[in-house]
Amino acid sequence: MTALSADIADKIVGEPKLVGRPDVNRKRLARMGWIFTAPALIVIAAVTIFPIVYSVVMSLNNVNVTGNGFSLDGFTFSNYNLLLHSSLWRDALVFTLYYTAVTVIVELIIGTCIALVLERLAAGRGWMMALLLIPWSMITVINAELWAYIYNGTYGIADYILNAIGLGSPVILGTPTPAIIGLMIADIWKTTPFVAIIVLAGLVMLPGDVYEAAEMDGASGWYTFWHITLPLLRPTIALAVMFRILQAFGLFDLPYVMTGGGPGTATTSLAVLAYDALFKNLAFGPGAAVAVSAALLVLLGCLATLRVFRAQVGQEGT
Amino acid sequence: MRNRKRVGWHRYVNGVNIAVVVTALFILIPLYWLIASSFKAPNSIGTASLNPNPLSGGNYSDAFVGYDFGIYFRNSVIVCITATALVLILGTLAGYALGRLPMRGKFPTLVILLMISVFPEVAVIAPLYLLMRNLHLLDSYPALIIPYTAFFLPFAIWILRNYFLGIPKEMEETGRIDGASPLRTVWTIVLPQALPGLFTAGIFTFTACWTEFLMALTFNPSNNYRTIPVGIAEFGGNFNVPYGTIFAASVVAVVPIGVLVFIFRKFVISGLTSGAVKG
Repeated sequence: MTALSADIADKIVGEPKLVGRPDVNRKRLARMGWIFTAPALIVIAAVTIFPIVYSVVMSLNNVNVTGNGFSLDGFTFSNYNLLLHSSLWRDALVFTLYYTAVTVIVELIIGTCIALVLERLAAGRGWMMALLLIPWSMITVINAELWAYIYNGTYGIADYILNAIGLGSPVILGTPTPAIIGLMIADIWKTTPFVAIIVLAGLVMLPGDVYEAAEMDGASGWYTFWHITLPLLRPTIALAVMFRILQAFGLFDLPYVMTGGGPGTATTSLAVLAYDALFKNLAFGPGAAVAVSAALLVLLGCLATLRVFRAQVGQEGT
Repeated sequence: MRNRKRVGWHRYVNGVNIAVVVTALFILIPLYWLIASSFKAPNSIGTASLNPNPLSGGNYSDAFVGYDFGIYFRNSVIVCITATALVLILGTLAGYALGRLPMRGKFPTLVILLMISVFPEVAVIAPLYLLMRNLHLLDSYPALIIPYTAFFLPFAIWILRNYFLGIPKEMEETGRIDGASPLRTVWTIVLPQALPGLFTAGIFTFTACWTEFLMALTFNPSNNYRTIPVGIAEFGGNFNVPYGTIFAASVVAVVPIGVLVFIFRKFVISGLTSGAVKG
């Protein structure tokens, strides 16, 4: 909103009136801009862009890690060849995609419902917002330990409840399907509130006159939601979904702490697989290849949704 | 208004309120479970009783005395405060320039920054690990401060840029006409206006640092340099997971950030919704 008003202000005020010769001043300010931006860009490039490129290089080499260093012993495709023929990698890819799809869809549906409810809440909305922020700010490792305790086979409350409603007592984190569902519930508990806040913010900013018109036309609540609210909310939802998807591709903390990727490899995500290859097996070439494959997934996601990015930048009036 | 006809407590019973209560319980019950379990006596953690009875602080003393949670807490504070300060300094300069100065190539820069802010950490840890090993930086504070600064900068730049965009330009021109240098203009005129943005960016960065796990696990495995998430994850042995201690430590870890987020919830929400979104 602030950015939007700035845009309008910009149009009204026009180009800033500068003292002295305008073109010289403009150049000077542009140079100033890059000087201001350079330190941040250098740090970011050194610690993110350079290593990403280097990961690609490592994944295309035979990497030899020795006691006090490492060497790249020649160009090879063997790391990727290994991945393509490995059921481990395929399973991790499938699990990551499946987990992402289910959690994002569930979080979006529940989050939107919560947002719609909160929008109608007259009193205490501030308190509810504060409450929603607690899971968001929770350390994921703690979230994982908490749910592992809830699922515990001997004294966990989930086990007790399942028993009480006659579902027997499966070893939740020790059986593939229940383990996956268990992870998803932990994720949904932590992230749904975040989605709700985003959607609520979008809801609050919707123009009120559209609703008045709909009400005058005698549109039902359901019709209004489906044909007016949802289409207007689309940009907000698209952005939230995109960030959630890209984030979920990097899934690591929850499975690492709760299941260690198990039972077997049932909850091994791409990030867990890469970590295990790199730091448990010290296989830096294949590990880098797995990491690059996860990064490629994110990059593809980014490119597919570049329009959303563009809208994001454009909207702010660059 | 539409419930005016109902009297007494009945007027509070409607769909919206019921849904709100359900939502609140959905969030609160696991939290209650966390806090209640942390106060159970260490030998009664293995029972599914709903109330800690007797109430015991044994887990808390255990976390600090039996385990080294004090060290982890100190490490987290040092790393997070330093990284947040660096992010705010570098981010303010860059955010100001990208928001207000006439530079070419702003658009690609901003898109790349946005992409980096969602890039998976796992894509960089292998080269960073080897680099830090060569520089003898593993198990040190810079081993986390440097990557945290770099990783959380793009998002902070975005938040700050959005705030800088919203400040009226006339203010700055006054400074410019008076002949103040750009740096001075930023410091004395623009920065005070952007204070809410700094709060927002600061809280986001601090929370991100406080909760980060993968890099902390990889770069600082030794006991003396572990941060809270790594410390808590490593409490468990192979056969016995000391849940009481874990939850006591968790409560201590969650409370500062919870209080911070609660006090500054307006800034957090505005940051979550001012365009750039990240969980």
